[in-house]
Amino acid sequence: MKKILYIALLFLVALTGCNKILDKDSVRVVGEKNMWNKLEDARAGIMGVYALTRSALSDNNGHWIYGDVRTGEFLSPNRQDLKAVTSNQLNASYPTIDALSDWTRFYAVVNAANIFMERIGEVKAVDRRYTENNMIVDVAQARLLRAFAYFYMVRIWGDVPFITSSYDGKFENKPRESQAKILVWIEQELQKSAADLPFIYSANDEQQPGSYYGEGDGRWGGALATKNTAYALLAHVAAWQGNYDDVATYAKFVEDNYGKSRINYQSTTDLTNSNGFFYNKNTSQMFGFNSDWGHIDGSVTGHIEELTLAQPVVTKNVPDIYMPKDTILRVFTLLNDQRFSLDTLGQPRNESYFVNFNGKYPIFSKIKVIQGGTNDPNFRYFTSALIFTRLEDIVLLRAEALAVLGDTNGAWNEIVNIMTRRGVTTIFQTGDVIDVVFQERRRELMGEGHRWYDLVRYNKIKQNNQQFMQLINSQGIYWPISRKLISQNNQLTQNPYWK
Amino acid sequence: MRYLWLCFAVFFGTAIKASTGLAKGNSEGIGNFKLSFFQDTVRKDTSAKDTLLNDSIVNIRKTLYNRFSDSVKTTPDQLSLFPAISLQQYLKGQYAGLYVQEPSGEPGSVQNMFIRGAAMPLLSRREVYQAQPLVILDGIPLITEHPFAFDLQQFDFNRPGPATNVFANIDMNNIASVEVLADLSASAIYGPRAVNGAIVLTSKKPGSVRSISFNSYIGMVQRPSVTTINGKYENAFRQRFYDLYTTNGRYSDDENYPIYLSDSLNNVYSGRSDWTDLYYRNALIHGINFGISGGTSRANFRFTLGNTKNQGVADDTGIDRYSAMFNINMKPVPWLVFSAMVNANRLERDRNRYLRDRFAQVNYFPDLSAPLPPNKQYYADYLNQYKKGFDDNKTNLIQGFARIGVEFGKFKWSTTFGVDYNEGYRDVFYARTLLQGNSYASNFYGFNQRLMLDNKGSYDFTPTKNHQLHVEVGQSIQWDTYKYTNAYAYKGANDYIKINLLESDPTNGNYLNPLAFPRELTYRFLDKTGDNLLSFYGKADYTINDKYMISATLRTDGSSNAQPTKRWFVSPVVSAAWSMKKEFLQDNTTFSDLVLRASVGRMGRLNAYDNYAQGPQYTATTGYTGNLTVPGYNAIAVLTRPYSAGWIGYGIPWSYSDQIDIGIDAGFFAERLRLSVDLYSKTEKDLILGVPDYAEYGYKQSLENGMSVNNRGIDVTIKADIIKQNTFGWTSSLNVNHNSNKLKSLPRGLNELVIGNRLLRVGQPFDQYWLLTNDGIYNSVSEIPVVDGQPLKYNGIALQPGDPRWRDINGDNNIDNNDKMLMGHSLPTISGGFDNNLRYGSWNLNLNFYFNLGRKLINQDMANRFDFVNREGNSNISSVKEITFWEKRGDYSKYPMYNPWSTVIPYRTDQDLFLENASFLKLRTVALGYDLTKLLSRKNVKVSRLYVYGSVHNVFTLTPYTGQDPELVSYDGFDPGYGLPIPRTYTLGVKMDL
Repeated sequence: MKKILYIALLFLVALTGCNKILDKDSVRVVGEKNMWNKLEDARAGIMGVYALTRSALSDNNGHWIYGDVRTGEFLSPNRQDLKAVTSNQLNASYPTIDALSDWTRFYAVVNAANIFMERIGEVKAVDRRYTENNMIVDVAQARLLRAFAYFYMVRIWGDVPFITSSYDGKFENKPRESQAKILVWIEQELQKSAADLPFIYSANDEQQPGSYYGEGDGRWGGALATKNTAYALLAHVAAWQGNYDDVATYAKFVEDNYGKSRINYQSTTDLTNSNGFFYNKNTSQMFGFNSDWGHIDGSVTGHIEELTLAQPVVTKNVPDIYMPKDTILRVFTLLNDQRFSLDTLGQPRNESYFVNFNGKYPIFSKIKVIQGGTNDPNFRYFTSALIFTRLEDIVLLRAEALAVLGDTNGAWNEIVNIMTRRGVTTIFQTGDVIDVVFQERRRELMGEGHRWYDLVRYNKIKQNNQQFMQLINSQGIYWPISRKLISQNNQLTQNPYWK
Repeated sequence: MRYLWLCFAVFFGTAIKASTGLAKGNSEGIGNFKLSFFQDTVRKDTSAKDTLLNDSIVNIRKTLYNRFSDSVKTTPDQLSLFPAISLQQYLKGQYAGLYVQEPSGEPGSVQNMFIRGAAMPLLSRREVYQAQPLVILDGIPLITEHPFAFDLQQFDFNRPGPATNVFANIDMNNIASVEVLADLSASAIYGPRAVNGAIVLTSKKPGSVRSISFNSYIGMVQRPSVTTINGKYENAFRQRFYDLYTTNGRYSDDENYPIYLSDSLNNVYSGRSDWTDLYYRNALIHGINFGISGGTSRANFRFTLGNTKNQGVADDTGIDRYSAMFNINMKPVPWLVFSAMVNANRLERDRNRYLRDRFAQVNYFPDLSAPLPPNKQYYADYLNQYKKGFDDNKTNLIQGFARIGVEFGKFKWSTTFGVDYNEGYRDVFYARTLLQGNSYASNFYGFNQRLMLDNKGSYDFTPTKNHQLHVEVGQSIQWDTYKYTNAYAYKGANDYIKINLLESDPTNGNYLNPLAFPRELTYRFLDKTGDNLLSFYGKADYTINDKYMISATLRTDGSSNAQPTKRWFVSPVVSAAWSMKKEFLQDNTTFSDLVLRASVGRMGRLNAYDNYAQGPQYTATTGYTGNLTVPGYNAIAVLTRPYSAGWIGYGIPWSYSDQIDIGIDAGFFAERLRLSVDLYSKTEKDLILGVPDYAEYGYKQSLENGMSVNNRGIDVTIKADIIKQNTFGWTSSLNVNHNSNKLKSLPRGLNELVIGNRLLRVGQPFDQYWLLTNDGIYNSVSEIPVVDGQPLKYNGIALQPGDPRWRDINGDNNIDNNDKMLMGHSLPTISGGFDNNLRYGSWNLNLNFYFNLGRKLINQDMANRFDFVNREGNSNISSVKEITFWEKRGDYSKYPMYNPWSTVIPYRTDQDLFLENASFLKLRTVALGYDLTKLLSRKNVKVSRLYVYGSVHNVFTLTPYTGQDPELVSYDGFDPGYGLPIPRTYTLGVKMDL
């Protein structure tokens, strides 16, 4: 008996000593104790919020399916799921539609931003390399991305659960909060963020002196949110709310200050070149998420090219979506429009926006950043940046605001500014200026995920399309909430239109 | 590490001290050395019935708690007649309670084993991995391929790398015994890795007599005959839908009918469909094993060399194995034995050429509007393009141990250092013509390594006459490491440079950048995980009069994959046996043996992933569908919460398994009839499950403990010498397992949970399908039920004529998940084997049957055929058509003609339309052999044995299933039509011992 006791005792001794080999950190993930200790952790954290935002928008090509495909202006020859989207059958049971009804990936952005803002002080406290200013700028970005994620969500689902802290480990199910309330909050957050954001990084902006995380301005241009980004988003938020006074103000700020962020207008050639505006990253991408070729960051999916390109631009027989010939002709009515117009013989003047116009499927090829900006058709590997907004968008948004506010001349000035840059020389300033603004937005921003929201705003202004008004009033402009989410969170309710 | 050695030293020291103290009175025992003990230092337990030992292992003491029941043919010699490449194939249908799943007949591909049911719902390959039994070769628990590498891929069809079955490393000719330990009382000494049961292989030991053995077979696998179809046939099949649901042959204006079907004059698709000539083949297999053994009683060795080639019947698949095994025993002094073993294998595998697997590997889907042509001439073009590249899969597996054993009378001590290392290489090059002008090269290297240090001591004690006490203590440390590196690249400079060359000059600014492939299209991956396991155990067996026996094991295990606050787990096991024969039936002639056994115990279960130990954590993964491996943002690495992998909190305890087993072993009529019955119940507790939740915090799921499942059932083994005469004998044996599983609880006390296409409901079996009930078709509007002016809907979409008549179970006029019911089982409720041996003089005939009952599958292959509208012309996984698309499997006329364009997707797989009975009975082996030994000895030829045989394997399958072989399904019970056939095989062989 004694011996057993001894042995048991020895076991105990051995156990405590040998615990060492059991304390082994994973090399695949970082545990809590090894995070938020260093400058590099802060950098990994804030870049993580950007990466999650890009993933949220790119997943299943959501940005374009929400924004462009849903309008029904593009058609899909083969993909049954996209056919269902174009015909507004958003409760059809296709995996893509299920995935796009799921907001989880946007809340990942929200959660990552929440955690970042809650924990970043820990880095500040222990790593002296991490400056006060660095933290202010980082927090401003996290704040902006969180607000952006909410803005994106309310446009798609209307009311959504409103969560502004991480609830780490003590997660609670939340009901949906009114969209109006969230939008007010988004505006406040963006204003706060705008106050702290610099115009430019690593270029001696007074709000961001020195180099940002030790990298030069070339690294950051177009990759990070700037003060202009914040104001551009504010303009969009205000427009969605219908506060056109604010839209005009915010947009004016961008028009006055874009140069400070080295943003510029794009020529038609730059806009449509495979190594032009959409290629990699550049400072003119006012708010964009790049997939830089040099960074081995391209992919076959998560780019609009995956949906739109086919023969003869890439070796793929039939595009996932295309714009029918008659729609194109209805949209591009301006003479000498460099984007698309017919010459006197009725032939397309160029192939900027559409290739194979006379074929069965005209290929929408405005954005066609293949590999390193080449025209190699054989490998459908794309590096185009996902652009949420650019200068032309904000100028036209201001035009929209001025038009609504009754400043027709001001609106026309903005429109003319854009049209002239697209080669349109003969501009008759007649007709309903609101119609003209939206037509021009449609032409200019085609394939950039704006059209659906433009249609919503347009119809809210005009109130003359019975069918669309019905859709707005019955909340049919929103997407259904994934059944999976409703079954997980019993506080959620389905959008009434999709019940 | 220092601590480690310290604790060893302390432990060793005390153990020695204790032992010498104990051994004092037994000095006469020294020198009374039995080599046998060290040959199998793991003491076979105990009251377990499933230690199906072979009599040839005489060294195992036959006591009450060492019962053997060689009920089914378990002699490796018999098993080795089957021309198997993997352990799973050898063992299939041979042991009650061991179910082997062979998803493909492709030689060397991965197969699954489950002892007494699956220990958890098989939701993904992770769970399949965690439900596998432990295989032990000469005391070395073999390491298997960790599923962490799947994280790299969008699709989990194959693990990255060679994906070769690591249990293809066993040459049955080298094995002396195979035991299946289904019961905790037997497997407890192997610890938590054996929580799902263990398969213990013991290699043949050297003897002091010089001997040579030669075992060989040669054989042929037979090309299957299949019905082929061509474009015309497929076109006619589809046109019937167009005739029914369209007026002008177009469902919509922008519809795009595939050209390969519409052009009936096109010989490529509409001509002769004879691709099978190039796809299927008659192929050769062979196996050679040559062994020599010799030495003295003080030092001896056994050395074998072998080569096995197993060519597949389809798609030029095959595997080549080169094996060597070496055993040595040395006894420099009478009380000390040194023994060592090395088992080395080299596997070279030719894999299938499925497009799906290739595109998933390449992570790129080319234009899929034209499938592979069914015509031999054109299909040959494709094969020629394929042959411009290569797909080399090589695996080296090596296991070995060195063991020192000392024996001082009744005290025995052994220390073993063991290594199991296996490494896999996969080098791939696909020529540019295979991928629309883009070549692809990939190089994978990965290894799995287990290092092991094992100490154990035992003491045998006889307090009084007829009382025996056996005490054993042990300690072991296992270090597991899994690692891989993988680089792949697209668009090489040309088709002649087939490897991804890197700049090798460190002074060059371009150092380590690819030369022949563009840097921007070169991806590199590296991942590593591991697990350290530290164990201590003690065990005592007490026997009285060989009549009563009681045994207890207590162990504690610490794992680096457990959370720091819950590192250690204590597992107790108690078992007892009672010989009723000796108690009551001493003189009874009917009963030659009757033993009652019972065991109850608990065993911890290891976490498979090291991130569970970290608690809340951060990961670098921020990819999205189709692009999982996003390398950060703006070329800066990121760290975010593991949103897609799932939330992990603190306080996750060990999960564990509570098991009860009650068994009876009986022998009748002087052992002519033997019966062994075991009733068992295994309850797994605190299993970790990904609960889909916290979506509003960004998580796909939350990994939580609290799932509990139960497997209960019965193992029955009956063996009878039906006829036992000098010249003629007939021995028949049957092994059956009936298993039923049930979900006992879910995390948080949830009652049910939907995960993917599965419903887990407490109180229900967890291997069931969750399906809508299909009652036919709505032919007209008037047939569609209308409630309050609303037609019946499917998830909010009003049903139309041509849509399926799904049963509205809850009567809410909407068909949705609430109308799905749990039905069928993906795992068999009854499985087993039936073996017959007939002997006439020196002739021997063996018939071996294998059966599964009460199992169902989803015929996804058929569903895909009908769902052509959603599977045509897109550049994604759903539009991939293999060459076997041109094979007719099953009966198309059984299925209603739904409107395939309907957005309710009428031919969806989550309905019972495609649920089929997958029960089967197979005649696995017919073997006829002749023993020449007697004949030769009469002629004064000196051989100790010469046996020749001829056999046919996989002779026939009886099944109600209409598709391919019902065995060929993936772990989730779906038959995607991707399993290569398990071929009928003819062999001729010889077994010779000199």
